[in-house]
Amino acid sequence: MLSYCGFKLNSKKRLLQNSFIILFCLSLFGCDALLNANNQSDGVIYCSEGNPTSFNPQLDTSGTTVDASSHQIYDRLLDFDGQTGNVIAGLATSWLISDNGLRYTFQLRKNVEFHQTDYFTPTRAFNVDDVIFSFDRWRLKDSVYHNVSGGAYPYADSLGLGKLIERVERINTYRLEIVLKQPQSSFLSNLATDFAVILSKEYAEQLEQNDQKDLIDRQPIGTGPFKFANFRQDSFIRFKKHNQYWGDSIQTEQLIFDITPSSSLRLAKLITGECDAMGLPAHSELEVVRQSKDLILDEKPGLNVGFWAFNTSKPPFDRPEVRRALSLAIDKNALIEAIYFDSAILAKNIVPPTSWAFQTEQKNISYNPSAAQKLLRENGIEPGFTMSIWAMPVERPYNPNAIKMAELMQGYLQAVGVNVEIVSYEWSTFREKLKQGNHDSVLIGWSADNGDPDNFYRPLLSCGAIKSGTNRAFWCSEEYDALIDQALRFTNNEDRQYFYFKANALIAEQLPLVPIAHASKYQAFRKNLVGFEINPYGGVKLAGVTKE
Amino acid sequence: MSRSKLYQEEFHPSPLQHTWMEFKENHIAVGGLCCVLFILVIVLFCGVLAPFDPLLQQADAILIPPAWQPNGGIVNVFGTDALGRDLLSRVMHGCQMTFGISILLVLIAMSIGVSVGAIAGMSRGVRSSVVNHTLDSIMAIPTLLIAIIIIAILGTGLVNSMWAIALALTPQFIHQTRDYVRQECKKEYVQAAKLDGAPPNQIFIRSILPNMGEILVVQGTMALSIAILDISALGFLNLGAQAPTPELGAMLSEGIEVAYIAPWSIALPGGAIFLMMLSINLVGDGLRSALRNRLLH
Amino acid sequence: MLKVILRFFNLVVLTLLALSFFSFILIYLFPGDPLTNLSGIANPNPQQLEILNQTYHRDSAFLIQYWYYLIDLFSGNWGLSVSSGLSLADEVARTLPASIELSTYALILSFIIGLPLGFLAGLRHHKTTDYALLSASVLGYSIPVFWLAMLLILGFSLQLGWFPLSGRISLLYEVPRISGFMFLDIIWSDIDNKSEVILDAFRHLILPTLSIAAFTTTVTLRIMRRSIIETLNSEYIQAAVARGLTSRQIIMKHALKNALMPILPILAMQFTTLLTNAMIVEVIFSWPGIGNWLIQAIYQRDYPAIRVGMLAVSTLVVMFTMTIDLLLRLIDPKKSKVERVAI
Repeated sequence: MLSYCGFKLNSKKRLLQNSFIILFCLSLFGCDALLNANNQSDGVIYCSEGNPTSFNPQLDTSGTTVDASSHQIYDRLLDFDGQTGNVIAGLATSWLISDNGLRYTFQLRKNVEFHQTDYFTPTRAFNVDDVIFSFDRWRLKDSVYHNVSGGAYPYADSLGLGKLIERVERINTYRLEIVLKQPQSSFLSNLATDFAVILSKEYAEQLEQNDQKDLIDRQPIGTGPFKFANFRQDSFIRFKKHNQYWGDSIQTEQLIFDITPSSSLRLAKLITGECDAMGLPAHSELEVVRQSKDLILDEKPGLNVGFWAFNTSKPPFDRPEVRRALSLAIDKNALIEAIYFDSAILAKNIVPPTSWAFQTEQKNISYNPSAAQKLLRENGIEPGFTMSIWAMPVERPYNPNAIKMAELMQGYLQAVGVNVEIVSYEWSTFREKLKQGNHDSVLIGWSADNGDPDNFYRPLLSCGAIKSGTNRAFWCSEEYDALIDQALRFTNNEDRQYFYFKANALIAEQLPLVPIAHASKYQAFRKNLVGFEINPYGGVKLAGVTKE
Repeated sequence: MSRSKLYQEEFHPSPLQHTWMEFKENHIAVGGLCCVLFILVIVLFCGVLAPFDPLLQQADAILIPPAWQPNGGIVNVFGTDALGRDLLSRVMHGCQMTFGISILLVLIAMSIGVSVGAIAGMSRGVRSSVVNHTLDSIMAIPTLLIAIIIIAILGTGLVNSMWAIALALTPQFIHQTRDYVRQECKKEYVQAAKLDGAPPNQIFIRSILPNMGEILVVQGTMALSIAILDISALGFLNLGAQAPTPELGAMLSEGIEVAYIAPWSIALPGGAIFLMMLSINLVGDGLRSALRNRLLH
Repeated sequence: MLKVILRFFNLVVLTLLALSFFSFILIYLFPGDPLTNLSGIANPNPQQLEILNQTYHRDSAFLIQYWYYLIDLFSGNWGLSVSSGLSLADEVARTLPASIELSTYALILSFIIGLPLGFLAGLRHHKTTDYALLSASVLGYSIPVFWLAMLLILGFSLQLGWFPLSGRISLLYEVPRISGFMFLDIIWSDIDNKSEVILDAFRHLILPTLSIAAFTTTVTLRIMRRSIIETLNSEYIQAAVARGLTSRQIIMKHALKNALMPILPILAMQFTTLLTNAMIVEVIFSWPGIGNWLIQAIYQRDYPAIRVGMLAVSTLVVMFTMTIDLLLRLIDPKKSKVERVAI
C-alpha cells in the first residue's frame, strides 16, 4: 500500500516538474505571442445578436434571420442601390414594364452557379425555373413546398403579394414574365427586398426525392456570395466563400456569425478583436465606440419606427379615448433620452422623416399626465386598473431595450393610476404569443425593407396584416385600407402623398399605436475591415468585406 | 489607584468567556466582527438610512458616476445605474436582501439539520451504512451545485432559490450534529443523565444542546458565507432573485450591460458581496482558531 | 479489502439507480406532457405520437416504463433538446469534456501554487510569512468567483487587450471534435499551423482558469498549511528532532510525505467545487461547457435537457467523490471516511 502512495507522490512530483518546464517554455515562447492575437487564418467574424429561425428569409420578417441569410446565401432578381435607393439589376439584368403596368418581363443573368456543398452538387446553372419555383413557394398554396417549415410567408402575405400576382410565366430559359391583377407602383421595390430570394429548384427536387423537404430551409443552397457550412444554436454560423460567385466582389475565405445576444458582450468582443464587426451596438455604448481609436462607428438614418401598440381587439383598448389617455401619460422625450441616448428622433407618425410620405406639420401628442388622468376617469378607468405591457426580449434598431422602456413606462402609468405588468418571453415564443393576441399592449417596431412608404402602412395596420401577424394592434379599418390601396394605383409620389396624409390623420385620430421613435441605424467595426457599409434597406451585406 | 491584591484570586473564565478572550486577541478577526456589526446595522435600518427608494427611477439622472469621480454628483454618492436608480440605496437594500435572506436560510437549515441530526444521533436504527454514505456523498457535493439542480427542477425565482439553498445547507448541520451527539453520548454526564432515567429528547435538549452552541456558531458562520455566495451567484445567473429586486447578485448581472461605460455598477455590488464574505470569513476563522486554542490549553 | 470494494459497488449501483429513478420521476413532475419531457419532441403529430408511445412503452406499467428508461439511458438514447432539436447525448458529450478540461487545469494550477505556498506557511508558522499568506488566502476565498471573473475581463481583456474573453478557441479555426478536450483534438487533427491554434486555445484558457483557480488555490494553501503544522507537532517528528536529524532531512523525508498523504483525497475533492465554480464562470466567458448549457436550458425551460444535464452532472460528481472515498479506504483502512477539514 505504501509503495502505491509513494508512486503517486513521485508521479505528482514529476507532474510538478513537467508543468514548470512547460511554463518555462511558454515564457520563452514569448509573452508577446501570448498577449497579442495574431490570427493568420483568413476570415471575417461578425457578431450577431441572435439565432436565425431558419435560413430562408421568405419565412420570417425577423431581422436576425434576414441578416444571416438574405444577402449572404441568396440573390434576388433586383437589388437596391445603397446610395440612391434605386432598383438595380440583380439576377435579372434588365426588365420591361408594359404600359398598363400589369406585365413585367425580366431578362435573367446567365452562367450563375449555385453553391456546391457536401450535401448538394448542382448540375446546371441558374435559370428561369428557379425563379418560378421560388415565387410559387409563397404564392401558390398547392405548390409542393408551400407547407414546408410551417407554410407561413409573413412578408409576402402582409403586402398581399400572393394575391396581387396573376401568374408567373416562363418565356424561355432566361426570360420571365410576371402578370399582375392590378397595377402596383411598389412592385419592383418589393422584388428587391430581402425576402424575394431565389432558391434552387434542382436542390428542392433532390430533397423531395429523399423525402427531406424541410432541409431546404436548414441546409440552404443559393447563388449568393457565401455558402452555408454549419450552424450551432447559440454559438455560431459558419459560411464558406462561394468560388463561382457571379459578382465581382473580393471575399474572404470564410464568414462567421458569432451569436452573442448581449450587446455589451458584442462590444467587448469587438474591442478585444474577437469580432471584426458587430450588429446593433447599444445606444448607451455608441460613445465608447466613437472614442476608441481601433473602432469605426457607421451611422445612417434608419427606415424604422418603434412604437407602443394597443391590442384594439381587447376592451377597454378598443376605445380610441382610452388609447389617447394612455398615450398622454407617457413622456416620449424622456424615453428617447433614456433608451436611445438621443440617437433617435421622436416619432410623430409611423413613417420616418427620410421617407417622402413624411408629413412635417404632423402634431405630436404631448406629455400631459393630468389630462391623461382626467380622460381615463371619464372613460371609466379607475385607479388600480392593471394592464400588461409586452416588451421584446431582444434589441432591435427601433428599440434597443424594450424591457427597460417598459420599466420606465411602468413608472409613468403608475402616476396616472394604472398598474403595469411587464411580460416578456424568449423571442420566438414572444412573437408566437403576440400573434395569438394575448397582449394588452406591446412595445415593438418595424424596420422597412425598401424605401416605399407602403412598406410601413400596409404591414403595420392593414386588416390583411392581422392574419400574417405584423399588425400588432389588431386594428382593422376599411377606410384606412381603402386609402392605402388607392395610393398604390398612382405612380406619382405627389398623388400618393395625398392618400398617405389622409391615412396619417386617421392614425393620429384613432391611435391604434403610439409611435415613439425613429432610430438611426448603426454598425461598428474594427479599423482594419474594409468594404463594410450599412445597408439602409434591410439586412447586413458582408459580400466584399475583407480584412487588411 | 489600583488596589493591590491581597489574596491571589483565581479567575476561572467560563468556556464562552475563554473563547471570547482568545478571539479578542486576534485583531483581524475583531475587525471582521466590527464589519459584520456595521453590515447588520445597515441590514436592520436600511429603510431609514437609504437616501432613496431603491426602485425609484430618475429618468434625468442616468449613469451618474459616483461622487469620487470628476463628474460625479453628491446627491447620488455611489452614482446611479442605467435606469437612474440610486446605487447607494440599492446596495444598502441589496445588503439587506442578500444578508438577511442568508441569515434566515442558515437559521432554517440549522434548525432542520440539528433536529434531524439529533434524531439520527440519538437513535440506533438509522445507523445503517447506506444513510451514512449517502449523507457523506451529498456533503461532498458543493451546495451551489445542489441548489442549481434543485432550481432546475423547481424553476427560477427568489423563493425557489431560497428553498434550494436551505435544502442544500441542511446536510452539513445534520452531519455535524449527528457526529457530535454520537461523541457526547459516550461521555459520563450523558450517561449519568441516562441512568437518572431521562428520556432521549430531554437528554438532548438539557444536556447536549447547551454544549453545542459554539460548534453551531462556527458552523453557522461557515454556512452563512456559503449562503451569501450561493444566493448572489444564483441572482447573478438570473436563476434566483429577478430584476428589479435589489439583490446584489442580480444587480451585478444588470451591471454587466453597462460594465464598460459604468464600471462602478459592477464594482460596488460586487464589492459589497466581497466585503460581507470577507468579514464573515474573518469572524469564522477567528472563532475557529479561538476554539482550537481553548481546547488545546 | 474485498468487502470494501464490494460495498463500494453496492453503493454506486444503488446511488445510480436512485439518481436515474429520480430523473425518471421528473418527467412527470415537470410541467408539460411527460412524453415531450421524455423525448424532447414538442407537439408531436399523431403519427409520431404513436411511434413515441411505442418506443417508450407508455402503455406499460410504471416500473416497466422505468426499466425501458434505464435501457435507453445505457444505450445513449437520451432524447432530444426541445429548443435546439439536437441529441442530448451528443450535447453532453460535447459540453462535459469542456467543463472537465477547465476544472482540471484549474485544479493543477491551484496545486502548483497552493501546495508550495501552504508548505511555506506551515513551516513559518506564527511568523510574518505565515500571516501574510494566511491573510491573502482569506481574501482569495472571500472573493465571489463571478465578480473576480468580471474584474479579470475588465482588466486583462478590455483595458489591456491581452486575452480574449469568450469561447475556447477563435471561431476562425475549425477543430474537429474527437475527444472533446481541446488540446488533444488540436494535436490529433490534421489542420495546418497547429502551434498557432494551440497558442490561441491557450490564450482562451488563461482567464477562466485563473478565476476559478483562485478559490481552490487558497483552500489548498490552507489545507496544506494545517497539515504541515499538525505533522510537525506530532511525536515522531519530535523523536526525529531528538535523534538529531537535520531539519532538511526531517522535512523532506518525514514531514512532507506524511503531511501530503492524508490530504490528497481532500484536495482531490476540490474538483467538485471547481466544477461548480466552472459552471458559473462558463456563463461569463461563454465557455461551451455543461454549466453554460444547463443554465441556458433552465432559462429556456428545456425540460429534457435539464433532466439529462442534471443527471450527468450529479452522476459525475457522486461517482467522483465515491471513487475518491474508495481510494482513501484502500490506502488507509483505518480512516472511516474523508474528514471535512477545517480550512
